Amino acid sequence: MNASHLMAGSPWQRLARDWRSWAVLIIVAWPAIDLALPTDLRIGALLPNILAFAFLALGIHVVTGATGLLHLGAAAFVAIGAFAFAISTTTAFPFQLGFWPGLGVAIAAGTSAGVLLGLPTTRLRGDYLAIATLGFGEIVVDLLKNLDVITKGTQTLGDLPKPWLGVTLPNIVSTANAWIWWHWLYLAFIAVAVWLLHNLQNSQIGRAWIAVREDELAARAMGIPVARVKLGAFTLGSALCATGGALYACLLGNSSDPTNYDFMLSVMGISMVILGGMGSLTGALVGAMVIGGFNVIILDKMTRWLGETDSMLLSLSNWQYLIFGLMLVLMMRFRPAGVVPERRTARGSR
Amino acid sequence: MTALLEVSELTLCFGGLTAVDAVSFTVEKGSITAVIGPNGAGKTSLFNVITAQYQASAGRILVEGATIERQWGRAETLRAGGFTLLAGLLTALALHCQSLWSAFLHDWNSLTKFAWGTGLTLAWEEFLRTGTWPFAIGAAVAAAACWQHWHSQRRTPDLVHRHGIARTFQNIRLFRRMSCLENILIPRDTRAGYGRLAAALRLPWQRQREAAEISAAMALLELVGLTAAAHLPAGSLPYGAQRHLEIARALSSKPRLLLLDEPAAGMNESESADLMRLIRGIRATGTTILLIEHDMQVVMGISDSIVVLDHGEKIAAGTPAEIRAHPAVIAAYLGETVEGQP
Amino acid sequence: MPDLHVLLEILVIGLSNGMVLALIALGYTMVYGIIELINFAHGDLLMLGCFAALTGVSMAGLPITPGSSHAWITIAALMIIVPAFCAGMNGLVERLVYRPIRGGPKLTALVSAIGVSFIFVNIGLIWGGLPLWAPAGVVNALGIDPAPFGSSASSFKNIPALLPAENLLPSHWGVGIRMAEVVTFGTTIPVLIGMSWLIRRTRLGRAMRATAQDPIAARLMGIDTNRIISHTFLLGGALAGVGAVLLCLRGDALHFQFTGFRAGMDAFTAAVLGGIGSLPGAVIGALIIGLVRSSNDILGESLWTNAMVFAILILLLIFRPGGLLGSTVREKV
Repeated sequence: MNASHLMAGSPWQRLARDWRSWAVLIIVAWPAIDLALPTDLRIGALLPNILAFAFLALGIHVVTGATGLLHLGAAAFVAIGAFAFAISTTTAFPFQLGFWPGLGVAIAAGTSAGVLLGLPTTRLRGDYLAIATLGFGEIVVDLLKNLDVITKGTQTLGDLPKPWLGVTLPNIVSTANAWIWWHWLYLAFIAVAVWLLHNLQNSQIGRAWIAVREDELAARAMGIPVARVKLGAFTLGSALCATGGALYACLLGNSSDPTNYDFMLSVMGISMVILGGMGSLTGALVGAMVIGGFNVIILDKMTRWLGETDSMLLSLSNWQYLIFGLMLVLMMRFRPAGVVPERRTARGSR
Repeated sequence: MTALLEVSELTLCFGGLTAVDAVSFTVEKGSITAVIGPNGAGKTSLFNVITAQYQASAGRILVEGATIERQWGRAETLRAGGFTLLAGLLTALALHCQSLWSAFLHDWNSLTKFAWGTGLTLAWEEFLRTGTWPFAIGAAVAAAACWQHWHSQRRTPDLVHRHGIARTFQNIRLFRRMSCLENILIPRDTRAGYGRLAAALRLPWQRQREAAEISAAMALLELVGLTAAAHLPAGSLPYGAQRHLEIARALSSKPRLLLLDEPAAGMNESESADLMRLIRGIRATGTTILLIEHDMQVVMGISDSIVVLDHGEKIAAGTPAEIRAHPAVIAAYLGETVEGQP
Repeated sequence: MPDLHVLLEILVIGLSNGMVLALIALGYTMVYGIIELINFAHGDLLMLGCFAALTGVSMAGLPITPGSSHAWITIAALMIIVPAFCAGMNGLVERLVYRPIRGGPKLTALVSAIGVSFIFVNIGLIWGGLPLWAPAGVVNALGIDPAPFGSSASSFKNIPALLPAENLLPSHWGVGIRMAEVVTFGTTIPVLIGMSWLIRRTRLGRAMRATAQDPIAARLMGIDTNRIISHTFLLGGALAGVGAVLLCLRGDALHFQFTGFRAGMDAFTAAVLGGIGSLPGAVIGALIIGLVRSSNDILGESLWTNAMVFAILILLLIFRPGGLLGSTVREKV
């Protein structure tokens, strides 16, 4: 497979040919595009929501896509991040740390929870690990709902601070076009995360992840401390999911009903990585955009177009499960590798 | 000549089946020793025990006079102790989190300033009141888990690898979707450790180290003639090249002992001759080699000593000449020519 | 120390729930034993079976007096129709989804199973929103609320009682055994005995055991492994169907999502507890889980029951992943 024709031309020419560069350009410049669209088709205000969930995709990319551990409880870590952020910043409790410290607390909480769950489970076989993470996801939601002295349960912890960059970002719902600032801020967060992950993936750590995924026995025989590598990947993935949760809670202004962080969310995360392409970082982002986009945008727009309907059969939200389930089954049958192929380079070798 | 590897009374049982039965032999440093025997004799099982893939049921393996296993030291005690305490604390906190939380907040409302000292004291009192039993239970479970973990992790393949024993596999186990270069890099990575911060931020020393590793790996690829394929996926290589790559990968960590499991399988005469040259070259760098092989030409051609297994037992050991004439060996192979003549 | 009738109550509830769980756990462990797949959709298959039972009851003509001969005939009919339905669904899924991807990586099969689970859940959701089978005229003339099964698609459904709810034991004994418990034991014990006979004495059972131990060798012996795997799914489905009918008779509320999820988690924990792949282990594990649940619900806070079961699962997986009766499987180098 000779790809030398892609290497021709100056760096700028090469960049222009790469679809990834175009995608990045479009999404950064989206505010300009969106404002030019008719009001009905505008989706800008929904984008920060999708971007927050892109962190879920990144987290699952590290755990499942790169290292091969089927993580069915990622929603729990999103919830932990959201609630950690909420508890540490809400006016209902005396801590009231502010946006950035709150974010730090959320990441710390996610990492700790990841270590906690990861220690016993990353030593297990793949299918057992899946069930253990599944159970964990259920337990965490249960706990968050029932420990309402701490979490206020379904009433949610509200009044959360907005991001502060020298000046506080305006409320996304009440101020028109406020979403643009959120959009760029969240894009910046994702850019940082992607840069860090890209470096990790092309280093000895990324190689260890892939080796563990491809052939655990050979990886161990080659000196890779498999349990430690799995735990590291799991913890990193949990931290990423928790970041997404914190950003989501901040966007929403409250911690959101714990039952929203259910198994469906975890499977959505898995679907993002599977659809986008297992092992490919860009693929995970593509999957996040597509599935997050489908979930948030299409459902929102479809209900608006089709109108409020009494018929259970015409209400699209009643078919969500089927659409997801069918997508998973068909993907696994016909294109398990996903849309974007995994692209490996050892840095510096070209 | 000193013994690099000393195996004494090594036994491996799977339920009712004894795969390796009280096998003892030594491998001299810098030599090429071959393990031969009919199929099912326990040769690969022997390799698996040496590399800690399986745990021996009895017997001892000494590498340069020492056993390879994790030792319990101060670091382990600290880690286990810390983990136990933390687990107990977490269990206690978790089981009574609501009452502890209420005690901590002690009816705070947003109008008053929060008294941190009082909150902590109240929470601590509540903890002492309700948390001692959960703490004990959590700590006990954690201690048991530590003990169980320790026992299962005393000898592991990655530890054996880090102590300088590398191997290839009977059925090639390359990382097919990774490039040849990456396959070579992986065994070297373990020396650098898996510190994520430096790698994520691409700090200067990480970049330098990576560049040095890559050039060393490319040199190794040149040794086996695979420089052109450096960035191709390992799975796309032809069979013979894959075997060479696997050997290069095993050499990558500069092991003191190299275990080759049927390296000449599926090779024709010229390829076998190439392989023999390669193995002699590896010996010349100071690496000791232990190989399993069925191809008698290869075995007789390069071995300094041979160990013969049959049904898990060692039936003979000695120089190629001695083995060729050994009646038990001839009997075991039942008429197969062992002279290395076609 | 709780007194005797509390203990007896825990025993009765725990064992009877455990028996029903055993039927589901058997389905899990059989499929895992033969193709090493955790069939995520199995719990949701149970849920679909419950919906089938629900529809069956409404087709039988409401209202039905609990304990009448009408009720018993309905129960007998359900015991045939629902297992057949579940077996058919399971077999269909195996043919369409799992067989084409057999031999591929395990992750693919697991994700497919999740997909099937979701499809089942959606079917349950839609099914729950469909109107009653009986014509509205008939229903109204009888003076029944036309939606006794819950007013919206996603709510909990209440199942009309087919069995009398009175305690059959004298009240001074302090513990209650309803007709439902009798039917539960009366059904599950013969079924389990039948399963045991099937696995150990028949050719099919031998073939299933052989395929579970070593599929390649089994094929070399002339066993059509595809057919055997199909049969395993059919059998597991039928067992789930029986479990579904029993669940309905016991009066548990039915939810299109929670019923399947909870049953699946419990059944899988039970299977792992007993040793995944071991059939008697699945039964023992299910009984234990049933007892754990009932004791926690009665003695402790039912808030923590789910967490307890999960904690058991985790502790098992740390200390004894082979379970009580199973063994660790080594990977061949």
